[in-house]
Amino acid sequence: MALNSAAVGKLTEVMADFEIKDLRVSVEGREILKGVSLAVNKGEVHAVMGPNGSGKSTLSHTLMGHPNYKVLGGQVLFKGKDILTLPTEQRAKLGMFLALQYPVVVPGITMSNFLRTAINAKRGFDGKDKSKSINVKEFRALLKNEMSVLRMDDSFLSRYVNEGFSGGEKKRAEILQMAVLKPEIAILDETDSGLDIDSIKFVSDAVNKMRGPELGVLIITHYTRVLKFIKPDYVHVLVNGEFVRSGGPELADWLEAKGYSEWVKEPDKAPAALEAR
Amino acid sequence: MAFTKAAVEELSALHGEPAWLRARRLDAFGVFEGMSLPDTRRNEDWKQVDLKTLNLEAYAPFQQPNGVAPAGALENVGATLYQRGTTPAVASVAPDLTQRGVILMPLAAAASAHPELVQRYLFSAVKPERDKFAALHAALFSGGTFLYVPEGVTVEQPLVSQFWSAGSGAAVLPHSLVIAGRGSRFQYVDEFLSSSRDETSLASGSSEIFLEEGANVGYVALQQWGIQTWQFANQRFHLGRDSHLQMVDVALGARMARLRVEAMLEGPGSSADLKGLFFGTGDQAFDFRTLQDHIGPHTTSDLLFKGALRDRAKSVYVGVVRVEAAARGSSSNQANRNLLLSEKARATSEPILEILNNDILRCSHGATVGPVDPEHLFYLESRGIPRPIAERMLVQGFLGEVLDRLPVARVRDAVDQELSARID
Repeated sequence: MALNSAAVGKLTEVMADFEIKDLRVSVEGREILKGVSLAVNKGEVHAVMGPNGSGKSTLSHTLMGHPNYKVLGGQVLFKGKDILTLPTEQRAKLGMFLALQYPVVVPGITMSNFLRTAINAKRGFDGKDKSKSINVKEFRALLKNEMSVLRMDDSFLSRYVNEGFSGGEKKRAEILQMAVLKPEIAILDETDSGLDIDSIKFVSDAVNKMRGPELGVLIITHYTRVLKFIKPDYVHVLVNGEFVRSGGPELADWLEAKGYSEWVKEPDKAPAALEAR
Repeated sequence: MAFTKAAVEELSALHGEPAWLRARRLDAFGVFEGMSLPDTRRNEDWKQVDLKTLNLEAYAPFQQPNGVAPAGALENVGATLYQRGTTPAVASVAPDLTQRGVILMPLAAAASAHPELVQRYLFSAVKPERDKFAALHAALFSGGTFLYVPEGVTVEQPLVSQFWSAGSGAAVLPHSLVIAGRGSRFQYVDEFLSSSRDETSLASGSSEIFLEEGANVGYVALQQWGIQTWQFANQRFHLGRDSHLQMVDVALGARMARLRVEAMLEGPGSSADLKGLFFGTGDQAFDFRTLQDHIGPHTTSDLLFKGALRDRAKSVYVGVVRVEAAARGSSSNQANRNLLLSEKARATSEPILEILNNDILRCSHGATVGPVDPEHLFYLESRGIPRPIAERMLVQGFLGEVLDRLPVARVRDAVDQELSARID
């Protein structure tokens, strides 16, 4: 198997495409991430695994700039910039995407309006130069293919964002957004949680279709289940705000058997136990 | 000219009204003279209303001539009535509607042509004794609309009245009297418009709407008075057995817009869907008083008033749900949601429940006052949508919950247009 890209970075001083350096973050005055470093290159899929409370969601939200998370130190370098200094929208414009664990219901805004505005924002449409905005035909064509992979019908587009969506529909809608916005670094935060097996499959198919040299993926997950469908190149274990182990896909298998008991006092048997059901 | 008895007589003569109506106006004028302005400290119904800078003397009861309404022909409507200030109104009705017995005409003309109906209903719902503004309205109402849709008649296209203000310093007091015959079905729209956004006037559009058994009525009021206008308006709906009202009030204009909405659910099985939408900027103030009065058994009401406020704009909402002794099996819901878009914007919300019969299916209420949800903002921004556009979408989305359900397309478009221009 390939060398861990982080290790390569250290040996050669070559910067990875997306590099988290010694990131420390607090939430409501409590330090949650205590110096996290990770390098992700485009073309790679990294899984960040950890028990509840390890700081997984803090990592994903901080990377996207959620206002509740306070950066105490460190850098996140992407395209020559420390993105921690950028507002959320500019991180997105630079090519980052976060699929939320709990997608927000936004009443009054249709999925169609939401997607179109996001696509137009990415294209730099400021409401004036119409040539930069996506036209109806183009928009339809773009969505049609992606929606069929995700088994979503047209009625999604006229519904308000996530309103009345089932758990599976919400996650599929997140991946649909990823598919049309075509990020270079995608963070999937517990995208598998609360999903039935069909939805996991549709979502995984869609993500696998997007994999390639132009996309780096960070899958954040508690359970190993989703990694059977989206095979990671690297697996990192996050415990108590620090990476305690990194390895190849075999680390996920090992975690499935042992859980996080090596690091967590209360044995966290959930992964194995759930898989058995 | 001030609000005088002579003005009442002149206005009545200008409209060629019958003697009984002139007498009613004069009676109301007596009530007006005998009342003082509401005590905003002691009178519960007027608490939180700021009348300090209101000077009734500054307004003329009418100006003559006011000119004609700047009416472009409306498209896709069944009938229209235009009126500017106190100039006698002009109505036009599609011939097939006239053949089917639909009457839409100036209220003054109807007082002579259909006295049996007008005499019986006019000011029976919104009585002059209620307060000084209601008395002023009854004494000096500047005309308005009389609409009668006979039993069993369905009108597909909306029926529209446009009331235009008559320039600075003039009082504009249009009245709508609507009678929906048994099983009739139609949509009626009151539009209150100023030709200049900054003109100062005193305006009060009041509506009395009667739904006979099984009638199904859509009522939309679009208030776009200039932003220096004082408004004191009343709307009262009387619902007969199994009738259904779908009402939407849109408040965009005025410096102080007070609106009282009363749904009297009298007939068993009657139901009312009551929606409000408001948007305030600058120093605009809104004051909404709603009443969902469940009088008959198995009556249903569902109210949602939603608004967004920016700058120093304020809104007061006081909503009463009353379940009277005979109203067993009734169901009511009341919700008032306020979005504050700046630090100095203010909204208060007060639900009042008066339950005299405990055998009810449902009686729920809720109120929210707060800024744009930061989680919503983060979500949109995480998709690359810049903050100003994200905020705008969220405000439009918030109001869209009511706007999208507005049953009359021309009003929906007009509101959408004004909101798009003002939300920034």
